[in-house]
Amino acid sequence: MKFAFRRARTEDRLAGVCVAGVIGLGLLFLIGPLILTFVMAFDARNYLGPLPPPALSLHWFTKLFRQDEVASSLETSLILAGATTLLSTSAGAAAALALVNRRFPGADWVQSAFLSPLVVPPVVIGFGLLIFLSQFGLLQGLPRLLAGHLVISLPYAIRASLASLNGFDASLPEAAMVLGATERQAFWSVTLPLIRTGIVTGAIFAFAISMDDVSVSLFLSGPDATPLPVTLISNMRASFDLTIAAAAVLLMAATVLLIVLLDRMVGFDRVIGQGLFRT
Amino acid sequence: MTASVEFAGVSKRFGAVAAISDISFAVKAGETVALLGPSGCGKTTILRLIAGFEQPDSGAITIGGRDMFGLRPYERNVGLLFQHYALFPHMTVAENVAYGLRHRGAAAKTIPARVREMLELVRMIEFADRRPDRLSGGQQQRVALARALATQPTLVLLDEPLSALDAKLRHDLRAELKQLLAAVGSTAIVVTHDQEEAMSLGERVFVMSRGALMQIGSPNDVYWRPHSRFVADFMGRTNWFEGALTVSPSGQARFTAASGWSAPLDAADRPAGPASLCIRPEGVEIWGGPDPSPAGSPAGRVLDVVPLGPVRQVVVQLHTGERIVAAQPNRAADAPAPGMSVSVSLSPDAIVLFPPAA
Repeated sequence: MKFAFRRARTEDRLAGVCVAGVIGLGLLFLIGPLILTFVMAFDARNYLGPLPPPALSLHWFTKLFRQDEVASSLETSLILAGATTLLSTSAGAAAALALVNRRFPGADWVQSAFLSPLVVPPVVIGFGLLIFLSQFGLLQGLPRLLAGHLVISLPYAIRASLASLNGFDASLPEAAMVLGATERQAFWSVTLPLIRTGIVTGAIFAFAISMDDVSVSLFLSGPDATPLPVTLISNMRASFDLTIAAAAVLLMAATVLLIVLLDRMVGFDRVIGQGLFRT
Repeated sequence: MTASVEFAGVSKRFGAVAAISDISFAVKAGETVALLGPSGCGKTTILRLIAGFEQPDSGAITIGGRDMFGLRPYERNVGLLFQHYALFPHMTVAENVAYGLRHRGAAAKTIPARVREMLELVRMIEFADRRPDRLSGGQQQRVALARALATQPTLVLLDEPLSALDAKLRHDLRAELKQLLAAVGSTAIVVTHDQEEAMSLGERVFVMSRGALMQIGSPNDVYWRPHSRFVADFMGRTNWFEGALTVSPSGQARFTAASGWSAPLDAADRPAGPASLCIRPEGVEIWGGPDPSPAGSPAGRVLDVVPLGPVRQVVVQLHTGERIVAAQPNRAADAPAPGMSVSVSLSPDAIVLFPPAA
């Protein structure tokens, strides 16, 4: 018996084409701008000309570093992101540990309050914080920015820690204590190693959010403390040139470096996928 | 013998719910006791109170004569086998067993030898370098037991030690567990909702219900001599009949069922009058075929025969209307068949009388 060659149904083929098209468009819009930025950052021309550039040069990078405000705002951004990561990760992990068992009254309300910055537009947070802090004359400069960045990064840190605590067997620290470990020893030797991936994920989010934020920082930065994205945007307003592309390439390189380091240290698959040990 | 664990009037509430109320008991040193009850009866609360995860609202708990009030879990020397083992997934089998030794301040030099000894005891030495997730349920349980016993706790608590295993494995491990506990010689409290587990592991069985201790006794005591309807029903299948206890002038006691049949009793241990009779299926004998049944036995017809492996249940519909379940050794040769006419007799020593049902 012979099998007739079967053709796929027209609608199935059409669906296949559509799916391929959507994936293609997605990739195009995700990767296209990155490639374009990358190429433009090395453009030797002094103006924004048609692609491809006739010659390559590093002059946008040198120009970027000659601008004092860029160097100082990069420093501000790094200090800010470092502090945000540290505080937001430890506070987020602590909050998640307290929230996961729901053992105190009003735990649900507290959690909603902690996570609410996710749904409030950052512009509202930035403006609200600015008004609030200046009304009471609290915090200036870097600490004020830090407050804003903590508010917007904390929900991510809490969520990431909560995710890894979800499915964490609460009897494990109990087992440690019954075996002679104090609460603190049980935390460091059992709980922390098992929820580590969530905490690291939260830390990455906190760092990225802080490095990247414009809308909250725009309200909270002052003359003595301006993070990099705000400086880049105001520079671009003042004179549109390609230093911003050079800055973007540097940020991309830093990101790639960070990812490689993380992969070496904890395994990147663990940070973004899979997640936890389970029993 | 000194008491290893003693509860004196211990109560514990969670919010509006009383988990246990006014519990008092003592466990002798070296003894294995089974704490048996349906879920929510408070047995887990007792376990958590002994381990130190919870503090009693009132009453006193002493372990080895020492008052445990306010002491943290790590300030007591109690071993705990968790229901789902709670092995540390990021540590090897050997590291798991060493954990307690390290934190209880064993000299670092002695730890590897002790870990080895414990793993050999539970026959897990060849798995020392594996992670727990690479072990079967039974193997995990043995590792958890080795971990719990490594520090030589004065008292070992076992939370539903066999319930997470499948039936065949459960059987094998039960015997093994019993041997291990005997070999180590420490006091043990087994918390379980499974009658068979309780009776096979415990030298004494504590039956609990709704936060109270219903009966304490040897496994056979609580099975054959229940003090309450709850214990009678909870420990296994029972036949119940309503009727009355009568005592003849010569002192012969009889139970006469409401439907008319009667059965002789060994002795009248309660005043004559209305009573409920309780008898386990194993105390009911079936008479059919050539054997003459004892005079006056209730008669009936076999309704169903249920083979359960070693025993079979024979359900008999009495002519007076009641049903009675008998259990007998499951031999093929003498199996009754449904529809057969039979008579039944109740072994006097298997009968327990209770006040009449309300």
